[in-house]
Amino acid sequence: MLFEPQKRISERALPVWRITGGIYSLIALIICGGAIALTIILEWPVWIIAAAIILLILDIYFFVYLFPLLKWKRWRYEVRDQEIELQHGIFIVKRTLVPMIRVQHVDTKQGPILRKYDLATVAVSTAATVHEIPALELGEAEELRVFISRLARVADEDV
Amino acid sequence: MSEPKRLHPITAVLNGLKTLKELIIPFFAFVVFGSKGIGTILIPIIGGAVILILILASGIVSWLRYTYRLEEGELRIEYGLFVRKKRYIPFERIQSLDFSEGIFHRPFGLVKVKIETAGSSGTDAEAVLTAISKVEATAIQDVLQNAKNNRSEDVLSQEVSEEILYKISAKELLLLASTSGGVGVVISAVVAFLSQFDDIIPYETVFHQLEDIVANGVIFISILVFIGFVLAWIIAVIGMMLKYADFTLKKVDNDLIITRGLLEKKQLTIPLNRIQGIRISENLLRQPLGYASVYIESAGGSAQNAESAAVNILPFIKRDKVRGIIEGNIDGYTLSDEMISAPKRSLRRYVFRGWFLVVPISILLIIFLRPWGFLSLLLLPLSAGWSYLKFKAAGWNQTGNQLTLSYRNVVKHTVYMQKNKIQSLAMKKSFFQSKKELASVEAKVMSGMGGAGGAVVDLEEKDVRTMYEWYSREEKAL
Repeated sequence: MLFEPQKRISERALPVWRITGGIYSLIALIICGGAIALTIILEWPVWIIAAAIILLILDIYFFVYLFPLLKWKRWRYEVRDQEIELQHGIFIVKRTLVPMIRVQHVDTKQGPILRKYDLATVAVSTAATVHEIPALELGEAEELRVFISRLARVADEDV
Repeated sequence: MSEPKRLHPITAVLNGLKTLKELIIPFFAFVVFGSKGIGTILIPIIGGAVILILILASGIVSWLRYTYRLEEGELRIEYGLFVRKKRYIPFERIQSLDFSEGIFHRPFGLVKVKIETAGSSGTDAEAVLTAISKVEATAIQDVLQNAKNNRSEDVLSQEVSEEILYKISAKELLLLASTSGGVGVVISAVVAFLSQFDDIIPYETVFHQLEDIVANGVIFISILVFIGFVLAWIIAVIGMMLKYADFTLKKVDNDLIITRGLLEKKQLTIPLNRIQGIRISENLLRQPLGYASVYIESAGGSAQNAESAAVNILPFIKRDKVRGIIEGNIDGYTLSDEMISAPKRSLRRYVFRGWFLVVPISILLIIFLRPWGFLSLLLLPLSAGWSYLKFKAAGWNQTGNQLTLSYRNVVKHTVYMQKNKIQSLAMKKSFFQSKKELASVEAKVMSGMGGAGGAVVDLEEKDVRTMYEWYSREEKAL
C-alpha cells in the first residue's frame, strides 16, 4: 500500500496565491464596474447592479480566500530515492509518480511575487512532461534541486 | 569523401519553391487586394515580379553556400546566407537516414535525405540534404553503416537480414483511402476557402440567376451539396491513395524501414531501440470492418517533424493480424486482447459527462428557436450512445513489464507501454469518483520532442491503485 505523500509546501504560498487571485479579480472588478456604470448611465433595471456586486463578492471569496486555502491543504509532495510523488488538485485530486531515472533536468523559477516572499517553484522535466512543485522556501527549493539532480544522474537507463 | 560537395543544382529551384510556399498567402493578398487600390494595376504586378526574382535569387545563393562533406567520422555541413553556419554531426549521433523523392527529384534520379539525430534540444536538430544523387545517398548510408559496425563489438551480424513484414494490397489501399478521416479535412478546407472569397466571387449576382432554378425546389440544392461532398470525398481518397501507394514495411537488422508514396516516394527508418510505445487505432468506419492502423511512438525526430514521432507502421490491417506481426518482430511487447474493462457503475458517469455539454446547447436551442429547438432533444440519446461506445472502449491490462490502456475520444486507441519507457504516471480522483470508488489513470511516454501516451477515466479505484503501485519503484513493504 502506498501512503499519501507527506511533505507540505510552504505556508507562505497562501499570501502569494491570494495576491495572484486578487490580481485576477481585478478583471472581474473592471467588468462588474463597467456593468454598473452602464446600468446607471443607460438606466437599465437596478437588479443588474445587485447581480454584479454579488458576482464580484463571490469571485473574491472563491479566488482570494477559498481556493488558495484548499489548494494549499491538498498540495503534498515527497522526494524518495527512486521517485518523486506529487499530489494536488482542488476538485480532482491528482497523484503523479515520476521515477528518478526519467528526470532529465530540474529548474527553479521565481516570479516577482514569489521573490518578495523568498519562495521558489521547482520544475522537474522528463523527456515528455514537466512537473512543478510551487512555492517552496528558497533554501528548500535549492536543496531539492541539487538533491534531485544528483539522484537523477546516478541511474542511467536508455531513454 | 572529404571534398566539400554541393547539392544538385535543382536545390536552388526547390529552395525557391519552399520559400514561395511559405509566402503564398501574403503574396496573394498583396496581388489580389493590392489591386483594389486606386486605378494602378501595375504596382502589385511589378511588386510581385520583384518578390519572385528575389526569392529565386535567394534560392540560388543558399544553394551555392550549402556544402557538405564526410570527414573524420563526422558529417560536416556548412550553410547560411547572411550568417554562415557550420553543423558537424558525429556518425554515432545519427539515428537514421530518411529518403524521399518528390516529383522534381524523379527525372534526375535524386533523393532528399533527412538526417535524424537522437532528438537533441532545439527545433531543427536534424540536417536535410535537399537533393543529392541516389548513388551519393547510398554511399553516405554505407559509410554510416560501416562506422556503426566498427563501433559495435559483434561483427557477426555483418550479413544484413531483410524481411518484408507487410505490403499493402490494392484492395486494402482503396479501403484505407475511403475510410480515412481525410474527407472532413477536405470539406472544411473547401468551406473555408469559399467563405474567404466572399467578396471576390459575386455571390449575389450568381444567386439571382439561380433564383429561378431554386424556386423549382430545394431538391436541386440538395443535389448540388451532395455532389460537392462526393467530389470532396473523391479528392481525399485520391490524396490518401497517392500517399500510401506501395506501402511496404521491412525489417532490416535492427531497424524498421517504411517505403511509401507514388508521386513523392518516402523512406523512413525507425531503429527498434528508439521505440517508446505501440498504439493501435481503430476509427468508427474501420472498427466494424475489423481493420485498424498501428502507430509507433518513437524517440527520434524534432518538434517540427511530427511525422517521425508517431509513425504509422501498419496503415491498414486486419485487427487480428497485428499481433503476429508486432510480437514476432518487436521484442518485449505482448498484444493480448484481454482487457479489464471499466465497471458497470461508471457507465452513468460516462453518459452524464456527455450530457454536460449537450444539455446546455439543447436548452438554449429550445428557448430561442421555439418550434424547431425541440429537435435538439434528439442529441441526448445520440450523445448517450456515443458515451456508451466510449465506456465500452475503456480498459486496461498489466502483464509483467507492460501496461496496456485502451480508450476512445473519437478514434479508439489501444496503447502498449513498457514500464521503463513510461515517463510519468498519474492517478486522478474527483470527489464524486471517490464516492463511487472510481479513479482515472494517465500514463505518458516520450514521442519526438513532446509526450504521448494514454488516459482512461472511471476505472475501478483499486485497479488504478494496482497500476500506480506497479509503477512505483519504492520498496512495497511499507
